[in-house]
Amino acid sequence: MRLQRSLEACKFGIINYFDALKLQERLVSDRKSGKILDAILSLQHPPTYTLGKRQTDHNLLVSEADLKTMGAELHYTERGGDITFHGPRQAILYPIVSLRDIGFGARNYVEGLESVMIEVASFYGVNAHAGKTGETGVWVGDRKIGAIGVRISSGITSHGLAFNIDPDLRYFKHIVPCGIPDKGVTSLKRETEMELPPDEVIHEQLIHCFAKVFRFSDIQWKKQ
Amino acid sequence: MASRLLWASRAASYLRISAFHRGLSTVIKDLKYADTHEWVKVDGASATIGITDHAQDHLGDVVYVELPEVGVTVAQGKNFGAVESVKATSDVNSPVSGEVVEVNSELVGSPGLVNGSPYENGWIIKVKMSDTGELNSLMDSNQYSKFCEEEDAKH
Repeated sequence: MRLQRSLEACKFGIINYFDALKLQERLVSDRKSGKILDAILSLQHPPTYTLGKRQTDHNLLVSEADLKTMGAELHYTERGGDITFHGPRQAILYPIVSLRDIGFGARNYVEGLESVMIEVASFYGVNAHAGKTGETGVWVGDRKIGAIGVRISSGITSHGLAFNIDPDLRYFKHIVPCGIPDKGVTSLKRETEMELPPDEVIHEQLIHCFAKVFRFSDIQWKKQ
Repeated sequence: MASRLLWASRAASYLRISAFHRGLSTVIKDLKYADTHEWVKVDGASATIGITDHAQDHLGDVVYVELPEVGVTVAQGKNFGAVESVKATSDVNSPVSGEVVEVNSELVGSPGLVNGSPYENGWIIKVKMSDTGELNSLMDSNQYSKFCEEEDAKH
């Protein structure tokens, strides 16, 4: 017997990284105590560079002062993964779900997130694939279109995925993305021959695919 | 095939490992287990702690282990460190409360020990227990095996 599991989808516009982090921490705590059910945040960030738990700041190729001049922020986080960039026109999903309830382990969860981005890319005729071992993420050829960085605390996920719709890719020149040198970054806009719908549509497609991959029976939409 | 299975289960009982005939994870007898997939090996008031084979299998290749400092206090059910694998950091919780007396610094250079040898060389911390009674709330190997089966059945 499969239980009916609801996913609460919260749609935001562009929100500051720190604010999103605080929101996630609150939701993780609420999820842990059973106050809320599984949720997913859908948003974009202003230009922001982030580092994972290993603090691999040797992969940041400019100084923090230069970042300020560019109008970008830098954040150190507890998520897995290396350095990355977030910015407008990049779709971000932060699922706050109980892995135990959905019956997934960390590895399967990350693979699930990859398949969500691969499927949405395919809607636009883009043939994306998961990376080789050690190169988690979603690639078109040897160009990265989607990144993943997750934190799991007592079985509850936070952080998540970043899918390049049409961000300003020049920002990636200032880092060694995900610590992998000699590989480029790309976007849906660059790879597709089709005309893209508004970002909101792509965000919704990502959420629908997420719900399907992780076997949620329905989605409750909430706009912030 | 039958004789291989017979050999395997004989070897397993000689080594005091109980092997699933279905799943891939091994569970060691005489250890205690938390429902967040950590194991504890008790020796008097001293406890060695790590994550189980089931846990490392579900995590994937561990690339980094965040260790606590010697001397910090840990509490049962609370996290004391984390492991990173495939772009996911997972908190590791302590099955018992007490003081950290040793950490496995081998994991700094060789985090993969957690995958290759989760119950032996991949141990994470050693704790001087403050309350051995807490062990009663943990699972034994049979209970833990069942717990894993139930969890995996959900997927």
